[in-house]
Amino acid sequence: MIHLQNLTKRFGDFYAVRDLSLEIPAGEIFCFLGPNGAGKTTTLKMLTGLVTPSSGTMSIAGLDVRSNSVAVKKIIGYIPDTPFLYERLTPAEFFRFTGDLYNVPRQHVDQEMEEAFAMFDLAQHRHVLINDLSHGMRQRLAYCCTFLHSPQALFIDEPLVGLDPHSIRMIKNLLIEKAKAGTAVFLTTHILALAEDIAHRIGIISAGRLVAIGTMAQLTKQSGVDGNLEEIFLSLTRPGQAGSAASA
Amino acid sequence: MLRGTVRDMQRQSLFKTAFIVFFVTGLEVGLFILFLSGFEFLGRMGPIGSMLVGNLLSLFFLGLGTMLALSSMLTSYATIYRSRDIPFLLVRPYSISEIVVLKFLESCLLSSWAFFFVVVPFISAYAWSQHLSLLFALWTLLFSIPFVVLCSGIGALVAMLFVRWSPRGNLLRYLVVMVFVAIAIATAITVRDTKHADNPNMFILSSQLIPGLHLAASPLLPSWWTAEGITSFGRGAWNRGLFLLTFLTANALMLTMLVELVGKWTFFNGWQKVIGAAGRVVIRKPLLELAERGLFFLAHDVRAIIMKDARTFLRDPMQWSQFLIFFGLLGFYFSSLRTFRYDEQLPQWRTAIAFLNIFSVSTVLCSLASRFVYPQVSLEGQSFWILGLSPTSMGRILLTKFGIALAGMLVISVSLMFLSTHMLRLSADMQLSAIALAFCLSIAVSGMSTGIGAVFLDLKERNPAAIVSGFGGTLNLVMSLGFMLLTEIPFASLFSLRVWEKIDAHHFHNGIILAYAWLFALTALASVVPLVLGRRSLLSRDY
Repeated sequence: MIHLQNLTKRFGDFYAVRDLSLEIPAGEIFCFLGPNGAGKTTTLKMLTGLVTPSSGTMSIAGLDVRSNSVAVKKIIGYIPDTPFLYERLTPAEFFRFTGDLYNVPRQHVDQEMEEAFAMFDLAQHRHVLINDLSHGMRQRLAYCCTFLHSPQALFIDEPLVGLDPHSIRMIKNLLIEKAKAGTAVFLTTHILALAEDIAHRIGIISAGRLVAIGTMAQLTKQSGVDGNLEEIFLSLTRPGQAGSAASA
Repeated sequence: MLRGTVRDMQRQSLFKTAFIVFFVTGLEVGLFILFLSGFEFLGRMGPIGSMLVGNLLSLFFLGLGTMLALSSMLTSYATIYRSRDIPFLLVRPYSISEIVVLKFLESCLLSSWAFFFVVVPFISAYAWSQHLSLLFALWTLLFSIPFVVLCSGIGALVAMLFVRWSPRGNLLRYLVVMVFVAIAIATAITVRDTKHADNPNMFILSSQLIPGLHLAASPLLPSWWTAEGITSFGRGAWNRGLFLLTFLTANALMLTMLVELVGKWTFFNGWQKVIGAAGRVVIRKPLLELAERGLFFLAHDVRAIIMKDARTFLRDPMQWSQFLIFFGLLGFYFSSLRTFRYDEQLPQWRTAIAFLNIFSVSTVLCSLASRFVYPQVSLEGQSFWILGLSPTSMGRILLTKFGIALAGMLVISVSLMFLSTHMLRLSADMQLSAIALAFCLSIAVSGMSTGIGAVFLDLKERNPAAIVSGFGGTLNLVMSLGFMLLTEIPFASLFSLRVWEKIDAHHFHNGIILAYAWLFALTALASVVPLVLGRRSLLSRDY
């Protein structure tokens, strides 16, 4: 579903992402881990067309992200770590606005809104300006709107930031459900427990390079560390370690 | 802010900077020539002209000062109460007074950049026509700084007192009502001053021609202190000039102290009130929903963007309030137009007044586009990723923004031009030219402002006044005014030459055809090129 080949992003002399190659099939939850500034968000933004890569190719559902950008955008969904939404719209208006952008029939939008707002506990805030909502509520609204057009590939940057435990549980279950229904889920996080809980495969990126990839068992083997994900992660992302395991 | 502008300039290519410097200089020279022709025209009018020129400086400062005070009410509200850095500053070891004075000075800078842009060519033309030395510019600068602080201080004081003691609710709505009341009072005073038709006094006669002249001559006003002080220095009356400069500066400092004092007493409670207005349920507007249904013929994404922009605009008091003030000032202008006895004037006068009106209305349109159209892409802010990620192209987003701007500008410009030319009872060919100019100006400035706004995209700034006062905003205003001068001067010249009988009807006819061809060609160029550049810039940018 998601295919990356030698993807590189350079800002001047600095390589944010270097020669990244990945393949994520439909129905998989892929979790991208890495220290701050490792290149996780840049990768996500390149895949969603918000950042132009310096070199390399990427495709989603067989469609080249750069040359078929509009077609790709119809089948993907993206949730950034900080949900900057239109603050002078209400959640109901924002939901309808999203529906119109993706050409979802208005009747379907209204029906989905009732269900999604009930599920994400936004019903009583539907006519309050987004400006006046808390971070967690905005994040929940961003989830509601992202699922509206039933994307085939989901990109989520730090999916649990600002959410309460109840919402965290709900999001985890929802992502698992979406994956079971065939959606490819590509998420980045610093919460290692989340990756252990729901990811089918985990990729570890450090200083722009992919240093390890695989299931928990494969990562243990690649790193040579017999421990939990935290120990594997720390051993693979130690300063000076980047790149040494890339060939693994 | 200044450091930001300098950094902005350093980031631009040398060619771009040189291009802008060239245009700014060109425009300032153009305005200088325009003002100079005006002064020379008045000079040829004999005693009335001399009287007008003598009082024009104080009228000029009265006009600019009034606009500065009005715009400062809103800019101060945005800068002092709505800045995002207020919470940051409040938890740092600064006193409330220091924060208020800092924000007040920032507001002065934001609301006064256009003031200096207009003052330079006007004063230079004045000095040239009156054969004054170059030092005159220095005296003007000396007086302009306290004058700007004083006028902005009045606006800031009103805004602070109002925020603190106005009833709870939409504070800015009340503030706008106050601004309108101020404009209405100013209009009433001006109209009253012009109703002395039977009085043979020449000054009163000239007041009938230029409303507000009588008021501007009042020695109680800071505009008079400024104008009188500058001219005193200019003619070597040093003691009088120095007295007026000291007097003006003392008043400006007193206003700053008052701002500090009132800020110390009222700022925190006022700020709490402003941020405490959150959590309100938005009442659905049936008119908007009706409008949305009326746009059924548009593509889904275009309709979505239009409705989103309409809702955002109507819920952003900073946007619509300034929009309304523009119309308040226009109302003031139109009420003044009624005082012209156009039919009784000489044909030469009639042509001059007609084109002065066209220039005035066009300048208002350029300012309107610079203030409201230019920042519209930047005001998408950090939410721009939503549009960037949606299945619509950047070109389409930009064209939608252009379409929204064009629809608004066409309605405003054509109706304003029609109304003003009708009120002045211009001839049919002059009315047609005026409306064609307004039509083309709308297309060109909408294209330029949208395109240049996309090239100089600033998604981090939320204050429209700050977006407009940056490098790109200045360039946009300069280009818009440049377009206006380049297209309107040929028409003005042709009509003037004809009325002075310097060309015959045949040459006039051919000249008009060429002027129209030039107008249409330049309109196409000025609207398409910036949009293409804007689209290219949006596509190549990382979000």
